[in-house]
Amino acid sequence: MREALSWQPDFEQLVDEHQSMVFSLAWRMTGDRGLAEELAQDVFLELDRHLHRLGSANHARYWLRQVTLHRAADALRRKRAKAASLGTDLWVELEERHVLVEPVDTDDDSPLGRRIEALLAGLPESQRAAIILRYQEEMTPDEIAVMMNAPLATVKSNLQRGLKLLRVKASQTLKEFVRGA
Amino acid sequence: MEHNERMDEKEMAEFEQKLRIALQHREAPLGLKQRVLARSRERRQAERGRWSLVHMAQRIAASAVLAAIFGSVAVYRHVEERRKGEAAREQVLTALRITNKTLDRVGDKLAENSR
Repeated sequence: MREALSWQPDFEQLVDEHQSMVFSLAWRMTGDRGLAEELAQDVFLELDRHLHRLGSANHARYWLRQVTLHRAADALRRKRAKAASLGTDLWVELEERHVLVEPVDTDDDSPLGRRIEALLAGLPESQRAAIILRYQEEMTPDEIAVMMNAPLATVKSNLQRGLKLLRVKASQTLKEFVRGA
Repeated sequence: MEHNERMDEKEMAEFEQKLRIALQHREAPLGLKQRVLARSRERRQAERGRWSLVHMAQRIAASAVLAAIFGSVAVYRHVEERRKGEAAREQVLTALRITNKTLDRVGDKLAENSR
């Protein structure tokens, strides 16, 4: 409460502090680096407009995660609708399943991380979101349920199924990952 | 059986730990912050521009309302003065009529007396 009263939001500082979180969420949800950057910019501009409604730093972080997830889901929906209207479902599906995550050659990128992201891209959207929030953002299943406006049982089931699926995929493609690199 | 389950749990826990490491935050693209701040400045400027247009329109509207009020007051005063003038003229005419009648009566009386 005291934090809410004394919180003086500094937009530039918030961008600085959360840009990698927002960008990572958007990228891992959409699997498209360019789209993720666009989404991150849009999310921060929306934050700029809504800053006066946020009461604390925690509230701002929660808001950023939630809005990023929603925007990413909207972007995926638009992408699918566009592909469907062009009659390219099969191509997009193949792309989403196999080459959705673009390889990036930067020094800070671990090959393992890249491969895990590629496997994540093959998961259903709800499972992918639950896993990203759980293991990237370290959120508890209860917090995820509140954020995704879903029953706790659904979130737990998404996490379990997603993990299992990811592990199976990993064991098929990344032997060293499962057995301990 | 139990041993297998324990192994499975252990492997899953290890897998989760590796997942955590693999899913650490990625570095944001270079210049993302600058681009966001530039777009934010543009938006604020556009908003200020929109507000100044709204303010100008409000000032014009307020001036029009004031002009209408002053005009109405002037017209009202003019009509009122004219009405008062008409009433005064009527009163003067009535007074003249009364005076005329009185003078007529006085004239008649004087004519009777002189006869």
